Amino acid sequence: MFGNYGQRYIVLTEKDINERQEEDIGKVSAVLSIRREEACVLLHHYKWNISKLSDEWFADEEKVRDIVGLLLNGIDLPNSRKLTCGICFEGYSSDVMSSAGCDHFYCHECWEGYISAAISDGPGCLSLRCPDPSCGAMVLQNMINKLAKDDDKVRYARFILRAYVEDSKKTKWCPAPDCTCAVEFVSDGNYDVSCNCKFSFCWNCTEEAHRPVNCETVSRWILKNSAESENMNWILANSKPCPKCKRPIEKNQGCMHMTCTPPCKFEFCWLCLGSWAEHGERTGGFYACNRYESAKKEGVYDETEARRERAKNSLERYMHYYERWASNQTSRQKAQADLQKAEKEQLAKLTDVFGIPETQLKFIIEAWSQIIECRRVLKWTYAYGYYLDDKVKSEFFEYLQGEAESGLERLHQCAEKDLQSFLTVRSDNTEPAPSIAEFGDFRVKLAGLTSVTRNYFENLVQALEAGLEDVHSTAQGTTSSNATNIPSKKAVTKGKTKKQLPRTSSDNSDEGWPCERCTFINPSSVDACSVCDKHRY
Amino acid sequence: METQRLLSEPAPGISASPSEENMRYFNVMILGPAQSPYEGGVFKLELFLPEEYPMAAPKVRFLTKIYHPNIDKLGRICLDILKDKWSPALQIRTVLLSIQALLSAPNPDDPLSDNIAKHWKANEAEAVETAKEWTRLYASGA
Repeated sequence: MFGNYGQRYIVLTEKDINERQEEDIGKVSAVLSIRREEACVLLHHYKWNISKLSDEWFADEEKVRDIVGLLLNGIDLPNSRKLTCGICFEGYSSDVMSSAGCDHFYCHECWEGYISAAISDGPGCLSLRCPDPSCGAMVLQNMINKLAKDDDKVRYARFILRAYVEDSKKTKWCPAPDCTCAVEFVSDGNYDVSCNCKFSFCWNCTEEAHRPVNCETVSRWILKNSAESENMNWILANSKPCPKCKRPIEKNQGCMHMTCTPPCKFEFCWLCLGSWAEHGERTGGFYACNRYESAKKEGVYDETEARRERAKNSLERYMHYYERWASNQTSRQKAQADLQKAEKEQLAKLTDVFGIPETQLKFIIEAWSQIIECRRVLKWTYAYGYYLDDKVKSEFFEYLQGEAESGLERLHQCAEKDLQSFLTVRSDNTEPAPSIAEFGDFRVKLAGLTSVTRNYFENLVQALEAGLEDVHSTAQGTTSSNATNIPSKKAVTKGKTKKQLPRTSSDNSDEGWPCERCTFINPSSVDACSVCDKHRY
Repeated sequence: METQRLLSEPAPGISASPSEENMRYFNVMILGPAQSPYEGGVFKLELFLPEEYPMAAPKVRFLTKIYHPNIDKLGRICLDILKDKWSPALQIRTVLLSIQALLSAPNPDDPLSDNIAKHWKANEAEAVETAKEWTRLYASGA
């Protein structure tokens, strides 16, 4: 709803991802003359960067094979009829023994358990090696398919698919529940994307779309809102986010040397969260990392502590913002349901009653879509307001927010209540049916409100994204404009009115006058705004 | 099967015997290696095989008090093969041999017990003396 998205991003279905992945695997397997499953682990190791993989492969194939654990020649089964499994030490005939291409043979039962344990540990199983600690031979997908339980095979294949999306810096999964699409982000600019499943989310932080609020504010807000506050307190007190992949980590062992779970595997110091590789004598020893001590002295940690403390004390203030944030969320969900109802039933009914083709009733759908979008923006302005601590800006912000809210209420009411009077007409015949002319008026009003609200919210989003930077400069140069309640704010609102004029007037070709309050262009024949009823003079 | 092998091929300075009530529970004794501060000591450990064994690592703990930078006061051991480097191809025997090796070569750079590691790094000779002292006090004559 905000501008034209063009080709900023591409939505990929599971089929698309599979095709792309198969294409990459096929390409690599052809170019390097290796088997499909070998190409698969190589690509996974090189994070699906084909050019880097082939560069390194052709520079030193042996080295790449060594790192990834791809043996050049498989070992044939030893001739001896009976072999001893290296895990359970039982003797088996050679047809129920396998190795990862090396000479470490294990029985199929132990393989199944080994693979199963690795798969339940997570995506780290994609680089599963031979059980022998001294051997680096990679366990390939054909081994998995031969030896694992059926549901493990499925999970393994899913991990490969997931890795393709998660390894790439350009693709991310749609976070909507049950949605299997991924979104590839192509260009820079704003991160709001909309998936095939209609869920819009911020590609950067994968929370729901949250313009004009930035990702940091959103994550703070969501953390704060977490219903399970008990859990939250526990996580805050007992865990730290991995400095690399940001997953919360609980320290469950004694030493400060932390290793994040695969695939991240980042090794870091629990005290200072710095890379473990940089630790040693220079940092004051492994066991008493003085980076932490010095950071504490500089007040880096105290700052975080103080912020937590402040947040606790402002519970009441928080409740104020939270309630409004949540009620806009609820209104939005209601509006989504109403939009569906309009699409499924109401349009057909109106066509039936007034004989207007559905194509000409699109303004109703547009109105609902606009309401949904505005509810979303308005919702996030409450998170914005909560974290805004500039007094002058706050005052101005609340004014803008208030205007936005009343504008949206007018639109929402018009779509919800006014429309109803045209729909309920057939069920009781006590009142005269509304005429087509009346419906025409309704149409003008709703379309007008939609356009006005859209403009207002677009400007609001822009102003908030710019951090309300024009507040201080414009507040000083107040012009002697028409009567208004808050002069300093008027200056800015007027600036907005001017900006919007060309856009709105292009919709209405005849001359008119713009409403002071809501900027709607009214025909010269009326003296009161047909949208918000404000008098012209 | 593995237990039989363990009993039939004992490693020098190590003994492990399954508990009578619970076949997953082992009483372990490790002799302090020669040329180490633990020489002459007899260290008791307990070893438990979890249900997932051998796909998951055994759980091992020192019962005898020991002054060692990679072993804390509860007897827990900081050893990679007991954690993320575990492989089912390792055995109880290999684990116990690794623990014995850890006694010969303490690694204060990846410590479990901060104070002991600090002591070890600051004044190794003195720390070794304390370790010997503890061996005499707690690990002599089982």
